[in-house]
Amino acid sequence: MKADFAQKLPFGGRMMSFHDGLVLSQFAPEPHVEEDVVPRKILEERKARNDKYYKAISLAIFFVIWQVICYLNGQANWFNPVFLPSPLMVVETGWQYLMDGTLVTHIGISFFRMIAGFAIGVVVALVLGLAIAMRRDVDNIFSPILNMVGPIPVFAFLPIFLIWFGIGEASKIALIAYATFIPLMTYIIDGVKATDPLLIRSAKSLGATEWQVFTKVILNSAMPHIFAGMKITLALTFSALVVAEMMGASSGLGYIIVNAKNWFKMADMFLAATLIGLEYTLFYGFLCLIEKRLFRWKAVASGKAVEK
Amino acid sequence: MSVEFQYIHKAFDTENGKPKYILKDVNLTIGDGEFICVLGKSGCGKSTLLNLLAGYLRPDKGRIVVNGKDVDGPSEERGVVFQQHALFPWYTVRENIEFGPRLKKRKDVHELADKYIEMIGLKEYEDAYPAELSGGMAQRVGIARALVNDPAVLLMDEPLGALDALTRDTMRKELVRIWQLSKKTVFFITHSVPEAVYLADRVIILAEGQVALDEPIRLPRPRDIRSEAFENYVDLFSEHLSGGAQEALIAE
Repeated sequence: MKADFAQKLPFGGRMMSFHDGLVLSQFAPEPHVEEDVVPRKILEERKARNDKYYKAISLAIFFVIWQVICYLNGQANWFNPVFLPSPLMVVETGWQYLMDGTLVTHIGISFFRMIAGFAIGVVVALVLGLAIAMRRDVDNIFSPILNMVGPIPVFAFLPIFLIWFGIGEASKIALIAYATFIPLMTYIIDGVKATDPLLIRSAKSLGATEWQVFTKVILNSAMPHIFAGMKITLALTFSALVVAEMMGASSGLGYIIVNAKNWFKMADMFLAATLIGLEYTLFYGFLCLIEKRLFRWKAVASGKAVEK
Repeated sequence: MSVEFQYIHKAFDTENGKPKYILKDVNLTIGDGEFICVLGKSGCGKSTLLNLLAGYLRPDKGRIVVNGKDVDGPSEERGVVFQQHALFPWYTVRENIEFGPRLKKRKDVHELADKYIEMIGLKEYEDAYPAELSGGMAQRVGIARALVNDPAVLLMDEPLGALDALTRDTMRKELVRIWQLSKKTVFFITHSVPEAVYLADRVIILAEGQVALDEPIRLPRPRDIRSEAFENYVDLFSEHLSGGAQEALIAE
């Protein structure tokens, strides 16, 4: 009886030697632990999140190198230090502007001109662009004119706008709006025309009227194109802003640059340029944010072309 | 609703100054509540015939009369299921199915959608966007979207081609069940001969833009696909399609 029991134990109930233990361990069932597998798609997304930090670090390094170059130049005198102010000098200049209260005014007025011009440009482009894309008669009337005027560089119109709308805000906003409207319209027309005809057919067979096809199918389908157009146009809006403020203005970020040029204040120029860049980035980010919220349906299926 | 094709001619192109007809003198009457399957090789004009009936295309000559009225553009009384699902990518599964009833401002939109989502077995996916679905799932949504609108005439352009064999079988049975309950007139395009024999009251074969064969299927439902009578119909149509060649087709 006792012997039987011993037989059932591994190694017949003997004391286990080191060797036996090794052998036994080969047969030991693996402990049942939930496998620690993370789907590759999620790993990929985590990596993408890290990209943000890498980009921030890269930006920081850029400024550090710039500062170091300025410092070394101060020591070794490679070139006249007036030509290249250091980042710290730019920040200091910004601080001075802030303290005497003019910085907020300059940023504010630039922001107002940009927003007003961009909004007017987008609205006009939407109305005219959608009308041209949807109606052949409107297309026939406006397209030839726009095709003729459109390619003329916007800035060629600035003096004309100054004479027409005066030296105040109207001429600047008009120029910015015009610079936004012309390129954006192309994107809107393309967006409408890119609507899948099969979707229009299916909406009509489900009982949609022309107007419902427009609001529920064509607009939805064109929206991503319109947003892409707005993001690209934004760069042109900003160049129009700067140009408008460089001519016949007494405030704004563009004005700081022109004014600084007259007094050879390099740090002021760099400050204004940086602020314009920041304002653009801010607005661009804002557009991206809206886009991300609106077009979730587009993002759902996008993965990597090939997983690694 | 009855459907009548009278003297239908349709061309997309000209050849030596004369129209090159895709459909030439097609005459066809479909009775109220009849299930018609149209068979034919690719390029024979079967999809064109469906597009004409749907109202997407207009005949160059002849007229199409549905329930005593000439077809004048697409309408909700003629629902269409497309070869590709044609779902709205910006709407979820549920929103796609609710599209038609919402246009009509029906009160029971939600319950209706529930019923059809249940039927196609996509309860878990009702909030998914079409881009997240597999081809077969999307096609089922396309079918549900057309059915929920309760059209009197249902036009289907090879709707089951994208489905896997098992789902296809289920959908065929479901289709017959819905048709028997609702007594819709169905205009169904397929290139699968057994599918046509299983589904149809009447099979039309189109060849070179004309009706080459118009044959009623006299088999009781539900149909036994292994019966000899069934096989005979399949053979008859296969022979017609292959132009009399005696080679056996590897069907499905």
